[in-house]
Amino acid sequence: MAAFCWIMMGLAIWHFTIWLPDRFWGGIVGAFLGALIGSFVVALLINGFSIPGRNDTVLLSALEGVPGAVLGIAVVYYEGIRRSNAAQAPATA
Amino acid sequence: MTDRRRNLLILGFVALLMLGSAVAIATKKTRLGLDLKGGVSLSYQAKPTKFAPTVSPEALDRSIDIMRKRVDALGVSEPEIQRSGADQITVSLPDVKNAQEAVDQVGTTAQLFFYDWEKNVVGKSGKPAPNDFSVTGGPAAGQQGCLPQFDAVARAKRRPAMPSSNTSSGNKYYLVNDKTRKVVAGPDETEKALRTGEQAAKLLKRDPELRVVEVKAGTTLVQREPAAGDLGKDGPDCYYVLNDSFALRGTDIKNPEQNFDQQTQAPNVTFEFTDAGRKKWQTVTREIAQRGSSFIATADGQPVTDPQNKFQHFAIVLDKQLVSVPYIDYQRNGDGIDGANGSEISGGFTIKSAQELANQLKYGALPVKLELISQSQVSATLGQQALDQGVIAGAAGFAIVALFLLLFYRVLGGVAVVALLVYSLYFFALIKLIPITLTLPGIAGLILTIGVAADANIVIFERVKEEIRAGRSVVAGVAAGYKKGLGAIIDANVVTFMTAFILFVLSTAGVKGFALVLGIGTLVSLFTAVLLTQAILVLLSKTRLLSSKGALAVGDRSSDKPAWGGFDFSGAARWFFSASGVILLIGALAIGGKGVKFGIDFESGTRITAALVKPADENGIRDALTKAGVGEGAQIQGITDKTLGANAFQISTKQLKPVQTTKATAALDAKYGIRGSPDTQSIGPTFGNTVAKGAIIAIIVSLFVISAYIALRFEWKYAVPVLIALMHDILIVAGVYSLTGREVTTSTVAALLTILGYSLYDTIIVFDRIRENIPRMPRAAFSQIVNRSMSEVLTRSLATSFSTALPIFGLMVFGGDTLRDFAFALLIGTLSGAYSSIFIAAPVFQHWKEREPVYQRRAGRIRDENGGVVPAYATGSAAKQVEIKPRTGKRRVTTPDDPSQGVSASEFKQLVDDLRVDAGPPVATADPDFDPTADARPEDTVMKDTRAKPKKPKAGKPRNRNHGRPR
Repeated sequence: MAAFCWIMMGLAIWHFTIWLPDRFWGGIVGAFLGALIGSFVVALLINGFSIPGRNDTVLLSALEGVPGAVLGIAVVYYEGIRRSNAAQAPATA
Repeated sequence: MTDRRRNLLILGFVALLMLGSAVAIATKKTRLGLDLKGGVSLSYQAKPTKFAPTVSPEALDRSIDIMRKRVDALGVSEPEIQRSGADQITVSLPDVKNAQEAVDQVGTTAQLFFYDWEKNVVGKSGKPAPNDFSVTGGPAAGQQGCLPQFDAVARAKRRPAMPSSNTSSGNKYYLVNDKTRKVVAGPDETEKALRTGEQAAKLLKRDPELRVVEVKAGTTLVQREPAAGDLGKDGPDCYYVLNDSFALRGTDIKNPEQNFDQQTQAPNVTFEFTDAGRKKWQTVTREIAQRGSSFIATADGQPVTDPQNKFQHFAIVLDKQLVSVPYIDYQRNGDGIDGANGSEISGGFTIKSAQELANQLKYGALPVKLELISQSQVSATLGQQALDQGVIAGAAGFAIVALFLLLFYRVLGGVAVVALLVYSLYFFALIKLIPITLTLPGIAGLILTIGVAADANIVIFERVKEEIRAGRSVVAGVAAGYKKGLGAIIDANVVTFMTAFILFVLSTAGVKGFALVLGIGTLVSLFTAVLLTQAILVLLSKTRLLSSKGALAVGDRSSDKPAWGGFDFSGAARWFFSASGVILLIGALAIGGKGVKFGIDFESGTRITAALVKPADENGIRDALTKAGVGEGAQIQGITDKTLGANAFQISTKQLKPVQTTKATAALDAKYGIRGSPDTQSIGPTFGNTVAKGAIIAIIVSLFVISAYIALRFEWKYAVPVLIALMHDILIVAGVYSLTGREVTTSTVAALLTILGYSLYDTIIVFDRIRENIPRMPRAAFSQIVNRSMSEVLTRSLATSFSTALPIFGLMVFGGDTLRDFAFALLIGTLSGAYSSIFIAAPVFQHWKEREPVYQRRAGRIRDENGGVVPAYATGSAAKQVEIKPRTGKRRVTTPDDPSQGVSASEFKQLVDDLRVDAGPPVATADPDFDPTADARPEDTVMKDTRAKPKKPKAGKPRNRNHGRPR
C-alpha cells in the first residue's frame, strides 16, 4: 500500500511540471517517468529497501514520495538542459 | 446492389432476428445466478495428495465429475461446478439452504482406508505395541489412548521414513508452538507450502520461534471421530499415531449403500468387495483373528482371560479421521471373514450421515484434497429483491438514456432509441439462448452496455451534424457521418471488448459474469448501433421527416467557426493539470492516512445478514453469538432495508467454518427468530489473495494489450498519454474510495477494469480527431491542431459521457447495495475518464509532439508571424485546411462490372449518388499562394496508417476508377 502512495504522490507532483518550460529529457513523458521512478526509489531508500505493508502505511508514507519525485523531475530536467546545450554546442562553435 | 436494396435487406434481416429473439424469449428460461435466486456457493482450492502429487487439469476434471455425481445425489437442480483458475473449483447450488450439508457432501475428499489397528498404532517407543492397552485402547480401541495433536506430532516425527506402496500419504509438515504446545498450522505436503501458506506466513511473521516439524512417509496421524459436543471446533484434540500401512483402500470396495443393522436397526453403510479387495479382506481379518486367539497377556504382564479383551480390531479411516474401530471375533471368524457377503461400517450414524458416506464411497474419492476457501449462502428472498432492483435499475437506465437521445438528437435520437430497443431484445434473447447465467454484476454489465450502445450512436450523430453544418445535404451528411465515424467506433468498441475479454479470462466467477455480458453486449451494440441505424437513416433521409435541419437538432453554426467560443483547451490544460495534481495529492494523503477499506472478499472473514423477527440490539446479538462461541471480534450493525424489515442486522466476524456459521444463525434464530433464511458469506484468505492477484494481472495485461492496439492502430506515441490518463483515472478512483471510506469489493475491481475500457473509449474519440486533423492542417502548430480537434469533439465527448453516466446513475438510485457500490466506482471512473481524455491525455500528447522538429519549426514561424505568440486557433495561412482523400479504396459501383460493356444505367445512377455523398464544402486549395507543405517534410503531411497501404495503379484499369477525388 505504501508503494501505491509513493507512486500516487509522484504522479500528483508530476502534474505541476506543466508550469515549467519543457526542457525535460524526453519531454513531459520523461518528467513523468522521472517523478514516478524517483518517488519509488527514494521512498524505498528511506524505508531501508522495504515496502511498508497496509497496516504500517501512515500519512508520512505518502509524504515519503515527495523528495524522490522532486529529485527525479530535477534530474530529468538537468539532463534535458545538458543534452540540449550539447546539441547546440557544435552549431555555435 | 443499390444502397436502398441493401438497406431494405438489412432491415429485413433485423426483423427476422427480432422474430427469432421474441420466440427465444418466450420459450426459453432465463438462467439466474445464485445472487438472484438464492442458494449456496462454494469455492475450493485443490491441494495435491499422494495419489495425485500435482494438481493437474485432469485431476481437477475428475474431481469435478465426482462432485457432480455427489451433487446429483443431493437432488439439486441446475447446479454449476466449474474450474476456476489453475487450482480452484467453484460450486453453485441453487435453492440449497443448508451450507453445512452441501460442504459435507460435495467437497469431502473421501479417502477411505482400512488398517489393522493393533498392528499399526504406535506407542511411546515409536513402534507399534499390540499388547499395550494404553496404546491401543484395548476393548475401547479408538476411544482411549489418544494424544493431543502436539504430542502425537512429536511422537510421529521420531519415526524414520518407511515409504511403501501401502502408505496413504507422503511426508507431512506441521508448524508447532513449543511454548503453548500446540500445532498452529498444517499439515502440508511440503515445507515450502506450509511456510508460504496464508495462515502460517502470518503466524511466522508474528512469532519467528515457531518450528516446522516433519513427519516422514510411513507414519500418519488420525483424529478420533468428533463427538456431538465437538461440533463447531476442529474436532477433538485427540490423535493416534499409526504406522501408515493400510490393508485396503476405498478402491477395494464396491456398491456402498445406506442400510440398517439387522439387530439394532441403527443406520449403517454396507458394501461389497471387489475381487482383489475380497482377498485382501480375508487375509487381514484372518491375521487379526489369529493374533486375537494367541493373545495371552498385556504388555505389563497382566493375563488376559476374558475373550472380549482378546478381540483385535481393524480401523476404518476416512480423510484421516477414524470412522469406526470394529473388532474381529476370533472365535466366530478364526479363518478371517469371507468378503463374499461384503461388510458394513456402523456406529454413530444418522440415516443422513450414513447416506452421505455411502454416496461418497459410491462415487469414489476425490483425487485431490479440497480446501474450502469461500462459501456464501443467499436467501431466496434477498435474491428476488436483488433481481427486482436490477430490473428496475435497467428499465430506469434505458428510459433516461432514451429521453436524453430524444431531447438532444430529436429524429436521430428516435432512430437510436429504436436501435436500443432492438439491441435489448437481441441481447435478452442471447442471454437465454447461450445461456448466460445472469448475476447481479451481469445486470450491471447489461445496463452499462445500454450506455455503450448509445455512445456509438452519439459519435455518429455528432459527425452527421458536423457534416450537415459544413454544408452537406442531409443524405450526404448521413452517409459521410457514418463513413467517418465508423473507424473511431470500431476502435473504441474493440478496446472495450478486449477489456471485457481479459476480465473474463483472468477474474473470479462473479466478475466473469459481468465481463461476459459486457463483451457480448459490445458486439451486439455494434451491430444495432451502426448497421441498423444506418439502414433506417439512409431510407429516411429522402423523406420529409429528415428534410429539415431542425429535426436533426443541427444549429446554424458555421464549420469554420471554432465551437465552444474558441476556448483555448491547450492553454487551460495547465490549470486542469494542476487541479488533477491537487486531487491526486489529497488522494495520496488520504490513502496514507486513512487507508483503503477492503471488503471481506480481500480481507477474509464471514458476514451474516439476517432479518430478525423480534426487536434486537447490538449487545443482545453479541451476547447470543458469544454464547455460541463465535462472538469474538464480531462487528454488528443494523441495516435499513424494506424487504428485510426493521430488525435487520449485518454481522461481520473473522472467517467462520460452515458449521460455526450454522451455530451463529441458530443462536440468533433461538433468541430472536430469523425471517426466512439468512444471507451468509465466508471468504478465506486464499480466495481474497486470488481475487487481488487476478485483478492486478488483469489490469497489467489490459494496459499492455490496449497499448499495443493503440500503437498499431494509431502510432506508438499515442499509447503513452493513454496509459498516463488511465493511471490517472484509477488512482483518482482509489483516492475517492479512501476519502469516502467506501468498501472495496470484487465489484469495485470489475468496475475499475471497466473504467479502463471506458476511459479509452473517450480518449480514442479525441485522438481519432487529432489524427484526422494532423494532415488537414499542415501549417498549424500542434497546440492549434489539438485545440481545433477538441473544439470539434468536446460536445460529442460530453454527450457520450453523459449517456454512459445516465444508466449508471439509474443503477445508483434504483440498484441494491451491491449494484450501488458498483455504480459508484463506475460513475467516478466515467467522469474521471471523460475529464482525463480531454485534459490529461490530449495535453500530454500535445506537449510531447510539439518537441518534434516539424512542429517546432511551425510554432517558430507562427510566433514570428504573430508577434511572438502562438494563437490558440490557427489563423491566416495556418488555418487553411487540406481535403484528404478517403483512406480506404472502397470499390465504387461506378466501376463497370464488365469494363468492355461500359457503365449501365443503374451504375450511372449510383455514380450520381456517390458524387452527392462526396460533395463537401469548398476547400482552400484554390488559393494559388497556399503551400500546405511549406513546413513539413513529405512524411509529415501524410497520416501514418498501417492498416492499408495504397495500391499502385495497375496499367489497363478503367479510368473511371477514382471517382471521389477532390474537385
